[in-house]
Amino acid sequence: MRVLAHARGSITKTVIQKGQNQFNPIIIGFLCTWCSYAGADQAGVSRREYPPNILPIRVMCSGRISPHHILKAFQMGADGVLVAGCHLGECHYIRGNYMTAKRIPVVKELLSFMGLSPQRLGLTWVSASEGDRFAAVVREFTEQIRELGPSPLRGVS
Amino acid sequence: MEALRAKVAQLLKEKAISGFLGLKLEHGHPSPFLFTGEEGLDLLVVSDTRFPLTKLLQRLTSKYPEEKFGVMVRGCDERSLIELHKDNQVNLEHLVTVGVACSQELAQRCGCKVPYPSQFEVGEPATGVEGGGELESIEGMAEDERFNFWMEQFGKCIKCYGCRNSCPLCYCSECTLEDSFLVPPGETPPKAPIFHLIRAFHTVGRCIDCGLCEEACPVGIPLRTIYKKLGQVVSELFGYSPGKEVEGRSPLSFLGEKPFKEQG
Repeated sequence: MRVLAHARGSITKTVIQKGQNQFNPIIIGFLCTWCSYAGADQAGVSRREYPPNILPIRVMCSGRISPHHILKAFQMGADGVLVAGCHLGECHYIRGNYMTAKRIPVVKELLSFMGLSPQRLGLTWVSASEGDRFAAVVREFTEQIRELGPSPLRGVS
Repeated sequence: MEALRAKVAQLLKEKAISGFLGLKLEHGHPSPFLFTGEEGLDLLVVSDTRFPLTKLLQRLTSKYPEEKFGVMVRGCDERSLIELHKDNQVNLEHLVTVGVACSQELAQRCGCKVPYPSQFEVGEPATGVEGGGELESIEGMAEDERFNFWMEQFGKCIKCYGCRNSCPLCYCSECTLEDSFLVPPGETPPKAPIFHLIRAFHTVGRCIDCGLCEEACPVGIPLRTIYKKLGQVVSELFGYSPGKEVEGRSPLSFLGEKPFKEQG
């Protein structure tokens, strides 16, 4: 929660001036520390380029990511939220990511019913060695959000 | 009504229960009351007024876990008892339920699918009402239209917490809706849509569609429609409908061996 509060400052400040006329979405990435965060690290170490729009937040397990965190990120004006964890069956806590796999589809349906595109919430599995995959996923997801445009919740509060 | 009074009198006389939670007619208004003796039972009534009796029961039983209680249940009350039992909030073995079938008028008003419990002493079973109310019309809207619709609805909220307070399944002693980080205090209307979405997510796999939240809402936000939609989603994804059977657990209440439907 405190990390999210910290991210609030970054959300408002992060204006990435890469393409001047391009919409630069703000994406919050919740990465599990054992696989996806290490995967992001691997992407960095192997010098893979991916859009800087993602703001990674390290969590102990993707199962730890409560829908509250996702909803709070959207409430604070994030254009997209990417949840990444270990591949199914490879969770450091054995079954933690099964909970994520159950939860996220429900949150997507809830967002969709509320009139927020469910595509704004991404769920992916990235292992610690998949630096390339992490970069590719973030590129794809950023492009997807860019096409959707700014979140209607931007500027609401 | 006489059948109910006779049954309760007998239960209390036999000391099968220490108290019976029902509705008492006071000053012409029925309100929840715990009958502990045979005297005063002439004021025990069955009416079309609904109260979250099972929520009161949960508080009672948590205070007096050894005692046996009797409770008047409608169809919705029985479903909520089953869910409370699964969450270890009440123990069905320590309870004696006395069923009441709702009138057709009440069933119509509530849009209730099953307006009677599995066993009942009073009333005739009314026919259930099918259809999702406003659900179809809201689902038919375009995305931005739906967003504006809900933001307008949530903007009416006066943060009275009526939806939570009337919900038979909201028993937590510490409520997320009072978390100052997620819902900053002293703001009305509360931050939309997060306030309502948090509550909506908490009903997933638990909401028994009694409609007390919507009935309690002073500004008429169609809350039940959201919970209904999530109920459909849970049923489609996990094949689970809350309040139906005592066996089985709500899909989001345990980790499980497999991520999806197969785990039942």
